[in-house]
Amino acid sequence: MTAVSWAMLLQFAFAGLAAALALLPAERIRSVLSGAASAVMSAVGVVTGVLAMNGVTGGLQFAVAVPAVPLTFAPDRLGGLFIVLASVIGLLVAVYGAASVRGASASRTAWFALPLFLMGMQLVPAAADAVSFLLVWEAMALGSTVLLLAEHAGSSRVSSAAVWYAVMSQLSFLFILAGFGVLSAAAGGTDFSALSAVAPASPPALLAFVLLVLGFGSKAGLVPLHVWLPRAHPEAPSHVSAAMSAAMVKMGIYGILLVVVRFFPGGPDWWGIVLLVLGGGSAVYGILQASVSSDLKVLLAYSTTENVGLIVLAIGASVLLTAHGITAAAGAAMLAALLLVVSHAVFKVTLFLAAGSVLHATGERNLDHLGGLGRRMPWTAAAFGIAALGAAALPISSGFVSEWVLLQSLVHGTRVGGAAVSVIVSIAMPIVVAVVALTAGLAVLTFVKAYGIGFLARPRSAAAAGAHESSRVVRAVLIAGAAGVVLLGLVPGPLATALVSVLPASGTPIVESAGLLGVNLPGLGAVLDPLVLVILTAVLASFVIIATLRSAWRNPQRIDAFAWGGGGERAQPRMQYTATSFAEPVVRVFDDVLQPARDVEVTHAGESRYLVNRVRFSQSVTDIVESRLYRPVLTVIDRFGVVVRRIQNGSIHLYLLYSFAAVIVVLVVATL
Amino acid sequence: MTQTSYAELIGVCAGALLLTSVLTVWYRSQRASVRALGAQGVALAALVAVVAIDRAEAELIPVIALVLVLKGLVLPWVLTRRRTPAAGARAGADHGEETMLLNPVAILVAAALLAVVAYAVTWPLVADSLSPAAHAAPVGVAMVLIGFLVLLTRRRAISQLVGFLALDNGIATVAFLISGGVPLLLEFGASLDILLVTLILVVFSRQMRTVFGDTDVDRMRELHD
Repeated sequence: MTAVSWAMLLQFAFAGLAAALALLPAERIRSVLSGAASAVMSAVGVVTGVLAMNGVTGGLQFAVAVPAVPLTFAPDRLGGLFIVLASVIGLLVAVYGAASVRGASASRTAWFALPLFLMGMQLVPAAADAVSFLLVWEAMALGSTVLLLAEHAGSSRVSSAAVWYAVMSQLSFLFILAGFGVLSAAAGGTDFSALSAVAPASPPALLAFVLLVLGFGSKAGLVPLHVWLPRAHPEAPSHVSAAMSAAMVKMGIYGILLVVVRFFPGGPDWWGIVLLVLGGGSAVYGILQASVSSDLKVLLAYSTTENVGLIVLAIGASVLLTAHGITAAAGAAMLAALLLVVSHAVFKVTLFLAAGSVLHATGERNLDHLGGLGRRMPWTAAAFGIAALGAAALPISSGFVSEWVLLQSLVHGTRVGGAAVSVIVSIAMPIVVAVVALTAGLAVLTFVKAYGIGFLARPRSAAAAGAHESSRVVRAVLIAGAAGVVLLGLVPGPLATALVSVLPASGTPIVESAGLLGVNLPGLGAVLDPLVLVILTAVLASFVIIATLRSAWRNPQRIDAFAWGGGGERAQPRMQYTATSFAEPVVRVFDDVLQPARDVEVTHAGESRYLVNRVRFSQSVTDIVESRLYRPVLTVIDRFGVVVRRIQNGSIHLYLLYSFAAVIVVLVVATL
Repeated sequence: MTQTSYAELIGVCAGALLLTSVLTVWYRSQRASVRALGAQGVALAALVAVVAIDRAEAELIPVIALVLVLKGLVLPWVLTRRRTPAAGARAGADHGEETMLLNPVAILVAAALLAVVAYAVTWPLVADSLSPAAHAAPVGVAMVLIGFLVLLTRRRAISQLVGFLALDNGIATVAFLISGGVPLLLEFGASLDILLVTLILVVFSRQMRTVFGDTDVDRMRELHD
């Protein structure tokens, strides 16, 4: 029994406690106690993960849980990182949930499902063989589905979202099952160390790669398997969507890393191309949909697809560069992927929890009806703003550092010592840089919209005007998240070196701490020291600020004039930009991709064609992957389903006849 | 007991089992079907007794008692029991005539065919055996198939239960004929299961009657999401 084993045992104990406390009758007590137990469980999970990251081996083995195969949970360093991630998110989410959820989301079932979900997520990276991996993977899917259904009584969209989610979860599970099945058959065992003995270029490994990427990609929300994400994230209770978006989709990323880092570190270069295409497509498509969405939580969900796309793109770049022997850039790309994973987890949990507070305070998710929340909910607004900086990858945030490393690796990836290495890489990298740049630009626009329309200006509805700040505990959780975003952005050095330590060791160090805890990529000759930059900027800015203040002091007269007011009264809230109007240029530019449905309805005054009484404009952007890819498939399945109905028509006698016929056929066949 | 008389006795019991089995499927009246089932239970107990005497196994005595009490008395009683005197009049309809999905002649022909199938498929398995008991095993398989036929052709819930129990009797018969029964503990467990299932289904069919005014399972065709 090592420290890891004890920590995992403790986790199990607290998970059981949380599940038991979830059955208490009083809602308030249940929420606080079960939430607290889940939080402690996650805190212990952080310890497990940190130990595993530092190379402490050991774990738990259940010899008799499944016939013939012992279940083994023994995290390696990479798994440790993802355990830390899932546990930190779990901790924030459990505390937030204990402090804020009410009603259906605080039901016994929901509180029972939360530890199942969180524990499942924390165990997925710990699994050391395919069977235990699939088992906890399914526990995670089951727990999240139950949580997603918590509010099903209130809205029919919840059950529809749950059906989509459940179907896509099962589809992803089947792909993963098939992938592991192919690998196990080739390796002759289900143990991960046995699986990694399969040669990367052999047909089973290639088939398994395709199946596993499909399965894990669906969980990660990659286009075109992302359709569950913009449905499930908005409809789930906010703390659950935070956990799903910040931690659960990362398990899909972990799965992909499992394939390309742990099982087959020397995969062929087309694996990299496949991941680049999947990731790039998801990044652009996700952020485009996010930029035109007016629903705050849908926007955040699509932004998750974007970020996951960037992560997979970085992994793909690393695989491609490794296959062509450009190791320094490949290492940096893998580091970028891990940095993006951590940074996305931190800012997305903050964004979703802040969105949850907004939803709780106003009952609105539609940005077109929000506004002016900055004054009414200052703490939430500040946390959301800082996390939005991270999501837009702007300086002083963790998002900036990770995208900087990604771009460094891509830019320096084409040449080694000044000479181009490979045609494919030389063509791919500039395209990828363009994709990342486009994504980054749209991300800025998206989050300017989300923050500007939602929190600045004046309230656009009575609900927004009557908003109130959330409770202290909730504020503390939000501030902790926002602090994480800034901290990882200002002093990225320690995190980057820790992340590199979980990767298989290579000859030259990928990253070093430089200056005031900044990052130095020695292989690429690039240094970023955000803290120094911030201090430098502050010093330079102080001169300007002092000058401005002095001139203001000397010339105290001030004229309050309403810009473009034309001498009129103050502008009405309805005159402000809305989320839809802010995104209008984007919709116009990407008209062919987004294909929005617009409807202009003009009501004329009396008989006149020239006097207009009222103009009503509505625009909706649908997910074209869904309407072009999924709908036709569903229609075909539906038609087939009608035929099947005749066989499966509900008559008990018919069913009995089936089994009777089966018995007789089996008997006769056995005799022959 | 001589080998000949043993074979004779086994033959008589197996014949009785097959006959009662055919009677359960042939009778139109539920009450008569249940009575035939009770007779089958008694015949099964007799069969176990014959096997026990031949093998001189004292361990089988509690099994005989168990089979006799449970399959011969308790289960038929549970199936025919009326709930309350007041409800008895209405319940009478449920114990009365059963409308079948096949006419009686067709059912008898089907039962005969099933017996032939059972013989055809089981004989190769037991042909090499010297024991007269094993040679009677096709009867057990035929009982299973005929029990299935009851399940298939009846509409009312209670009649379906009769079919289910007849099927179970068939399984027990095969077990006793081929191997002299399963271990006592297993026998107890299986019997308890059967009793529980029957009790639950009887309660369930009463619920059905309260809700639908009938226990015709053909009415429960609506599929729910």
